[in-house]
Formats: sequence, C-alpha cells, structure tokens
Amino acid sequence: MNPFCRTGDHLSRRAFLKGAAVSGGGLVLPNWGGLAHAKTAAEIASKAKKRCILLWMNGGASQIDTFDMKPGRPTGGPFRPIQSKVTGLQVCEYLPKVAAVADKLAVIRSMQTHSPDHPDGIYHMHTCYKMSERTPHPELGAVIAKYNGDLGSDLPTFVRMGSCGNAGAGYLGPAHEPFSLGRDGKLGSFSTPYLADDAEKKRADLFRFVESEFAVDHKAEPFASHRTAKERAWRLLRAKAVFDISKEWPTAKERYGDSDFGRGCLMARKLVEAGVPFVEVGQENYDSHADNFVCHKANMQLLDPAYSGLLTDLSERGLLKDTLVIWMGEVGRTPGINNRAGRDHFIRAWTTVLAGGGIVGGQVYGATDADGKDVKENPVSEGDLFATIYKALGINHRAKHLTGVRPVWLTPEGSQPVKELLG
Amino acid sequence: MPDLTKPTQAWTLTWDADWVTSVAFIGSTRKVAAGNNLGGILVWDLPEKPGGDAPKPTLRLDGHTNCVSKLAATPDGKTLLSASYDHTVRLWDTSAVPTGEDKIVLNAMAIADAERRKNNGAKAPPAMPATVGVVKASTAFDAHKEWVVNLDLTRDGKTVISGDDGGHVIIWDRESKAIQKRWQVKGWAYALALSSDKKQACVGERFPLVFDGGRHAAIKLWDTSTGEATKDLSAEFKGMHMAAAAYSLDGKVLAVGRGGESDGASGIVTLLDPANGKKIKALTPGHISGLTDLAFHPDGKHLASAGRDTVVRIWEVASGKLVSEVGKSRGGQFKDWIHAVSWSADGAWLAAADMAGAVNVWHFSK
Repeated sequence: MNPFCRTGDHLSRRAFLKGAAVSGGGLVLPNWGGLAHAKTAAEIASKAKKRCILLWMNGGASQIDTFDMKPGRPTGGPFRPIQSKVTGLQVCEYLPKVAAVADKLAVIRSMQTHSPDHPDGIYHMHTCYKMSERTPHPELGAVIAKYNGDLGSDLPTFVRMGSCGNAGAGYLGPAHEPFSLGRDGKLGSFSTPYLADDAEKKRADLFRFVESEFAVDHKAEPFASHRTAKERAWRLLRAKAVFDISKEWPTAKERYGDSDFGRGCLMARKLVEAGVPFVEVGQENYDSHADNFVCHKANMQLLDPAYSGLLTDLSERGLLKDTLVIWMGEVGRTPGINNRAGRDHFIRAWTTVLAGGGIVGGQVYGATDADGKDVKENPVSEGDLFATIYKALGINHRAKHLTGVRPVWLTPEGSQPVKELLG
Repeated sequence: MPDLTKPTQAWTLTWDADWVTSVAFIGSTRKVAAGNNLGGILVWDLPEKPGGDAPKPTLRLDGHTNCVSKLAATPDGKTLLSASYDHTVRLWDTSAVPTGEDKIVLNAMAIADAERRKNNGAKAPPAMPATVGVVKASTAFDAHKEWVVNLDLTRDGKTVISGDDGGHVIIWDRESKAIQKRWQVKGWAYALALSSDKKQACVGERFPLVFDGGRHAAIKLWDTSTGEATKDLSAEFKGMHMAAAAYSLDGKVLAVGRGGESDGASGIVTLLDPANGKKIKALTPGHISGLTDLAFHPDGKHLASAGRDTVVRIWEVASGKLVSEVGKSRGGQFKDWIHAVSWSADGAWLAAADMAGAVNVWHFSK
C-alpha cells in the first residue's frame, strides 16, 4: 500500500475508475462512461428544447445598407433596394438570396439601444444589461445553455466561433462558459490526441485523482472551473466527429458560399442538429467608419449565401421551427455618410432580424423616418429584444437568480416580449 | 512648357450636390467635365486666363443613375466617356446640342445646411445659381453587370478598357463598342490601365474583407491579345489594394498607387518597368490614408498623384523628385479626399475632383 495514500483515497480512486467522481468541493462531475455515442446524442437532440443560432455582425452592420434602405434620400448611399419574397419588404441588392427567404424573417427596424461603442455595445447586446453594472451578467448563450442545454451531453452547450460576445457565463458559473472554435468552425489543436486511447484514459484518470486530492484543501471556484473545463474537453473529444464538415463541405459550399463565415454557419447547423442549444457565428468587421460601401458590399457577398443557406438548410431538415436564428451586431450605423465614405456608430434607430424558433416570419416590425435618423414607431430596447428571444425559446425572461444574496433577473424590469413577433 | 513648380489656384468650381468623384479635361480645349456621386456630370468652359470669378458650368449631362467613378475624353475632344456604378459606360458627343435648360444652385447643400443650423447662428451663404444646357443623348456600353469602377483609353482614343466589381475586365472598340477581349480577375477590378500600344494592361484586384481568409489583393500585367496574365506583381505589393495605375506616354514606365484607407502616409506611388514588372522606384512621401488617382503630364516627364489627404503631388518621373504640392493637406482621414485629377492637353491646367463638393482648378504659368 502506498504510504502516502489513505484508505479513503483508494476508494475514491476506484470510484474514478468506475467513471464517477465527486470533487472535494462538492461539484458532481459528469459521468464519463454514461454518455455520448452517436445514438445517445441523437436521442438527446430529439428531446432537446429549442435551440438558438446567433449570427453576430461584429462591428455593427449598417441597417440602411442592408434591411432598412432609404433609396433616393441623402442618407441612402449607392446601393439599390430589391424586392424580397415578401410584399413590401425590400432589402439591399447584395442580399438576393436572403430576399428569397424573406418569408422566414422578422425584420425589427426600430431598435433603440443605449451603448454606443464596441466593448459596451457587445456586452449590452449579449446580456441586455449595461457593461457599467457591477453584476457579471451572463451572455444570451450562457442563459440558453443553462435552460435549454443538457450538461450530460458530450457536446458543449454554448459554442461560438469568430468575433463574439465578451461577457461569458457571468453569474451562471463555469458550467455555462462558451466553448470556442476557430473562425471557420474548426476545433483547436487540442482535439488531436498524441497518446493512444488507453494511455489517454489512464492519463485522464490520474488527472482526476490528483485534482480531487487537491480540491480537498482548495475549495475555490477557479479550481472547480478548471476541473469542469477539463472534463468537458475530454467528453468533447468523444463527440469530435460532429465537428468534421470535410465530407459535407464540398457540396454544402455551393449553398453556404466558400468562406470562413459560410463554414461557420454550416457548423452551426450541424451543432444544433446534434443538440447544442446555442451557437454563435461571428462575421468580421462591419465597423465601416471608412469605405462603408466597399466594406458592406464585400461582407454581404459572404453573408448572403451563408445566412440564406443556413435558413434553407434548417428548414429542409425540419429544424427551423425549433431553432431561433438571430442576426444582429452591437450597434447600427449612422444615416449620415462621413468624409471617409464611412458610416459611424448609431444606436437611435437600427435593425436586428429574427427567424425560426416560432417567430412569425415575413414581417417588418417597427419603422424609422425617411432618412433613418429616428424610430417612427414601435421602438424596441435591448430588454424587449431579449424578452422576445427568451420567450420564443421557452425561457422565462424574468427568471431570477442570485449573485451572492442579490437577486438579478434575466432581463431588466419593464422588458416585454414583442407579441407581434411571437404570433 | 508650364512651370510645374509654381501652381496657382485659378478657381474653385463649387458643386456641392454630393461628392465630386471624377474629372477630365476634354480634348485640347479648356472644357472640363466633372462627375459626382449621384451620377451627375457638369461641364465648364474655363476662361483663357486664371483669376476672377469662378466660371459657371454650361452643360449638364443626364443619364447616369449612380456614382460617376471615372471620366475620360478622346484626344480629339469629340467624345467623353463616363464609367458609373449604374453598370454602364456612357459615351457623350461633346458637340451635342442641349435639348433643354435647367437652373441649378451650385451650393444648395451649403445653404440647406446653414438653414438647419440657423438657430446656432449659422448664416446661409449667397446662392450660386447657374443655368445649364441639358444633354440627355448618349450611348451606353452595357456589357458590365456590376459597378464600373475604372476605365482607360489608348492614346489614339480608339480602344477602351473598363473594369468592374465583378472582376470583369473588358477591352472594347470605342466606336463600335465591339468587345475585343474580356477576362475575369479574382475579386474586384480596381486599378486599371491600358498601354498606349494596347498590348498590355495593368489590373489591380481586391476583395476588401478584413480578418477573413477570403481577403484578396493582387496586381498583375496582362497580355491583352490572349487575356492571360503575364506577370504577377503581387509579391512586391503584398496585401495592398492598388487604386490607380497609369502608363507613361512613351510606354516605358508604369505608375501604380496604393489606395483604400490604410494607415499613415501609405498611399505611395511606385514606378515599374512594364517590360518586366521590375520596380524602378517608389515616390515618397505617400498620400496619408491612401492614394486615389494618377495622371501623367502631357510632357511625358511628370506625374500627378492625388489622395485621401486632399493634396495633389507633382513628381518628376526620371528622378523621382517631388516637384510641387498642389493644394494643402487637410490632415487626412477626417478631412475629405481628392478623388481624381486631370491635366489639360497643353499641360498648363490641372483639375482635381474634391469630395467636399467642388472642382479645384490650378494653373501653371509658362
């Protein structure tokens, strides 16, 4: 017998070998052996609650150059509108494929928000709370992971790729932290093991034993987070095949467009199909303070096939009714065009788009004035948008949590779901 | 020949309906045409000598429905060509008789802006009215299906090269509009120039994404008879989007300029040997935040460059020396652009298309 071990240590080790472990901090680690071969993943997916994909337009896409065009106005710019599939809804000429699926879209043209810059805007549009608050609010993805995810799944419940949110799981804790992929949906290099399977398992078992011993006298959140993350990483490796799009991509790129963002959207579809409740896919650099039209023209040529391809793919697979797809950035862009041929940040009147997940498509909600300088009807705040999103996903938008002894709610007081969007 | 070391500003031709985006002198005359961001084109007939009140435009050419990205005139002055974001190149008979007349206010935007701010004490400037003859007749070359961003003419004015945001480059006969050659580059065509002997073209390519693997920048020389690239210069200009290119009149020098907002004095002109693509020299200082246009002087020895810093520079090609700066830099990045420049046939006048809503005309005495 190892003179450095106590009897109880050996019992714990046997427990590890059986595939169950309980940390000294009381954190019940997921059962390694109990999960995740493909059939089980599919069973989980079939019982899953609603899912969500966030298409994040990092930098802030221009509403006047995409979904709320102002042709012929001084603020209009050189793009021309085209008629979409929905009577009365015009979109930019560089979104022809999106125009063809406009019957799935609910275009909210009346966003009026409160955080004008990038860090605060990204935070606010991921949490619906201002960054200046001391409470560590969780991102939309963490909330959905908590309420609609299955921690027993081998797959992470909150996945993101490309530019994305900056708040993380906040007060919901490490179990709901995001798992990041490469911009094009690729797994990191950690996913390629350098040991044989049995050696890898032995290594993992030893790690758990050592960690558990350490946790007896070190009961702190970072250590628990680390253990959680490691366990989840190992389980993820068992579901690694889900992340492989190499066989599907040669045909899928015709639909999604051959770009990093297109690959990310295909990955999002695969992940929600496998039961991941929230996936965020970021598209880069809409922050067009200069050369706005050149920037948006290039970005839209990637966005158009990827966004429309995702909606079509989800629809064809019967997934769209249970998958909410959100299109938004952190801010809109000014109606005025500056002397760098750019548009600057604008939060007084801008656009987000919802589709699927029970949202009533084929509609425009809210309106801006002739030049897009202000909201004319039905303003929508961050809180209202999030309330709508949560309601669509079956989550109580006024659910209460505690940080320490302080109660916090998922959305600010007064936030109301927009009924017209939910049908 | 005019003394290019001593520019004097002749006039500011105000036209503030929108950005002035293109400019060209017409043939051997002192007529200058300018196009703007709305698709409008005005023509001024400049007096023989600089100074005095700014002349008013005499003609308006109606037809384009979107930004006029480039203007060029045949050497005989009979035809003006205009490239536009409305997917067409229009050809205008410069001797066409107007079919109508219109009264315009050249500083209407300034007046409207002052009206909006009158509660803050802003005073509207006096109106600058003009009566222009309206010409609607033009023919259109409509083989492009995307924004036509650039065009160039051979010295004899008979052959045109035009390029668009679909990456399509087309060489065509100006009179018949028959396509002689076309090819497609990767991304969008940007800088564009045709050698005087028509045998070679220089095309800059771009797909201006940021942080995406699909971003593209290249510059190549092409054999116009085969439509094949003969020299890829992209390694020399890694990652740079070239906004303008121009062949010298004797065809021995090719000037290219980096555009498209980039940090610092990055809008550098580089002189190349078109026979082999080798770099001859770089002309410094570069334009702050990017270059927009290049134009060789009729004397064949000098080159004008314009940029996003609102200054036009005149260079001596053989030595690479900066001969003069025309206008003052307004500081770059937040201070408007000069979109385009054009020399008169006698080389004594330079017109610059100013984003602020004007054509600045400079004169060089002999």
